[in-house]
Amino acid sequence: MSRSGPPHAAASLPAVRPRAGFLQRVQQQLDRESTLGPLLMLPGALLLVVFLAYPFFLGIWLSMTDTTLGRPGNFVGLQNFANLMTDSIFQQTARNTFIYSTVTVPFKLLLGLALAVVLNNQMPFRNFIRAGVLMPWIVPTALSSLGWFMIFDPVFSPFSWLLKSWGLITKNINFLGDPNLAITSIMVANIWRGTPFFAVAILAALQTVPAELLEAAAIDGAGAWQRFRNVTLPAIMGIVLITTLLSIIWTFADFQLVYVLTKGGPANMTHIFGTYAYNVGLWATAIGQGAAIALTMFPILAILAILLLRYLRTEV
Amino acid sequence: MGKVSRRQFLSRAALALGATPILLATACQAPPAAPPPAATKAPEAPAATKAPEKPTVAATAPAPAAQPTAAPAQIKGTSLAILEGTYFVAAGQDLFKKMAQDWGQQNGVTVSTDFLNWPDLQPKIGAAVQAGGIDIVELWPGWCFLYRDQLVDLTDFANGVAQKGGGFAQFVLNSSLDNGKYYALPIGNSGTSMNYRISWFKEAGADIPDPAVQAKEGKWPDWTWDQFFAFGKKLKAQGRPIGQALGHSTGDPQSFAYPYMWSNGAMETEKDGKTIAFNKPEFVDAMKKFIQAWKDCYDETGTSWDDNNNNRAFMSQQICATLNGSSIYIASKKSAPDVAADMNHTLMPKGPSGRFYQFSTRTLGILKKSKNIEGAKEFLKWFADDKQYGEWFRIQEGYQVANTQKWATDPVWTKDPKISVYTQNPKYGRDQGYAGQIGEKSSLAWSKYIVVDTFAKATQSGDAKAAIEWGAEELKRIYGG
Repeated sequence: MSRSGPPHAAASLPAVRPRAGFLQRVQQQLDRESTLGPLLMLPGALLLVVFLAYPFFLGIWLSMTDTTLGRPGNFVGLQNFANLMTDSIFQQTARNTFIYSTVTVPFKLLLGLALAVVLNNQMPFRNFIRAGVLMPWIVPTALSSLGWFMIFDPVFSPFSWLLKSWGLITKNINFLGDPNLAITSIMVANIWRGTPFFAVAILAALQTVPAELLEAAAIDGAGAWQRFRNVTLPAIMGIVLITTLLSIIWTFADFQLVYVLTKGGPANMTHIFGTYAYNVGLWATAIGQGAAIALTMFPILAILAILLLRYLRTEV
Repeated sequence: MGKVSRRQFLSRAALALGATPILLATACQAPPAAPPPAATKAPEAPAATKAPEKPTVAATAPAPAAQPTAAPAQIKGTSLAILEGTYFVAAGQDLFKKMAQDWGQQNGVTVSTDFLNWPDLQPKIGAAVQAGGIDIVELWPGWCFLYRDQLVDLTDFANGVAQKGGGFAQFVLNSSLDNGKYYALPIGNSGTSMNYRISWFKEAGADIPDPAVQAKEGKWPDWTWDQFFAFGKKLKAQGRPIGQALGHSTGDPQSFAYPYMWSNGAMETEKDGKTIAFNKPEFVDAMKKFIQAWKDCYDETGTSWDDNNNNRAFMSQQICATLNGSSIYIASKKSAPDVAADMNHTLMPKGPSGRFYQFSTRTLGILKKSKNIEGAKEFLKWFADDKQYGEWFRIQEGYQVANTQKWATDPVWTKDPKISVYTQNPKYGRDQGYAGQIGEKSSLAWSKYIVVDTFAKATQSGDAKAAIEWGAEELKRIYGG
């Protein structure tokens, strides 16, 4: 089919010229890095605004109101934060979160480091084992938490059953009901889940350590520990720091594991910021107070994030 | 405090923080990227003062329950989303789901039914209140007060249901009426009673008449807490402890803790809703007894039990008694007939101040955010009809006490004498927040597990006084007394 223009096509030609000029100007603009750069960044920036900046500022706003779900609130300034300072459950929650993070992260780091060193050696089925080690990290936390929930079951725990059948204990272990044992049990599950992240990240770093350096050190008479201490460790220190900082941030802001296992009980002995904020904000519908609880995490996480970014910047 | 709009706040915050150009541009020039949730419109007039957008059927005339074919044609082609908590009596859930689907097919409405794990129900309702997407929600005690501004007024409709059923049961009037209005349709009360093993308690010295005689004469074992603990002590010594959840789960811990508190002279607040009446000497004494009983009578792992543990423990014959609905009995009849044959239910033990239960009134509400309010009303009208409601109520075999008087003498209560005691719950019922008004503050106290955790702390520390003082202080923070 031939394309024939309308009878007035010739008359309209002059009108096309400005359009062509416009496109040319657009093209010229796009050729400039100062225009194209921000333009290409725009979709990402919009995503950040919609999904990060807006909720973040909304959260700040809510934390300064007495809003409840379904009812608009009034501006109350810093009252919600002031109330938290005298809230014994919040104080317990802060203690729990601090213990939860400071105990689990070193364990995850050391176990992950040891695992990575082992996996870095030649062994049968090495790739298969490496993939298997990653499983706790890959499995959705809600799902693996349910597995731990069954292991820690107060009545039907396989551990209790086994130990009772061996005659080592006479009654079930109260994994999640005893205040000290409850937080310990949750930390064990967290360490199990988080160790593979360290292991895999450090393993990747270990593989970048130049073999020549290690050989040279060995020729100079350095033992295995000295080679690790003076050659390997400095080479992987960057990755170790980054994974540690990331892990602190994630552990600090954890939610799923505690929510599935104890929901903060017994008597708030396992509440962490995430679960307490959820409890107050969504269960009790006091969304303003819940936002305030969640935001108390922000300064600590922000400092960690700044440290991480500064380190990355200096390294890159 | 003065009111500052969200947009003003965002603009000032972004400017003050010296945010990135993008944030500045967004906060100062562009409208918010996503529509703000209703709850954040702080400066606007409270929704409570706004009338519903258009007159509703229920609001214009007392509406007797409709027949299945009575739904108007205009709802054809619409959709309806219903959200409820998981049923512990599976047959009840299956029936409700089937009923909803059948009604949808008859009326050309696409109906979806979701049944959530109990702890997830309230947050999901909260999300729906903010963002919509659900039409009918199941509300637990207090929630119809909590969300009253976001619920369609169903007063006329509910009164029509009551009229047809010979009047609402007293528990409905005590727990769902909000200044003369119903913001949700009361559908029942999921009752609790003491589930116990007949032969084991007889061995421990309890006088237990035949279940049929108990039901016929209305005389169930009428134990005090002291008597109950005495039986429990003997039974735990035989490896058959009492099972009671004291963890952070949503049903069983509260069902025990509130009634034990009330039966021993303590309350959250006085009638003014402010003066804390929790730290009473008689309650401290009762808590001391409970601490001892926890060691002597109970399975001490109960501090981590959820609402399922006692069901499983009872059915696997590991505990002699537990507070629960009729769901253990119903499940046992199918999967553990020996247990079902040797178990019965009796009244909650009583204390010096009497016997009490915590109301577990269930209501179905329609969210104002619903895009199908008419369809939701039509469904509720259909569901409230005797044929549907009766079938739903009966299949749960005592798990729900019905909403109106006419069902109090229904054959379901005499068909199996072992569930007859569930008819007694409501007359001993009290709401959260008693003696004050149920609402936001009582819900906050309930959600923070203040009363439950007082018991958990007491059993952990062995210090009744300190635990109750902690609870009283926390309640004071909430109620402002």
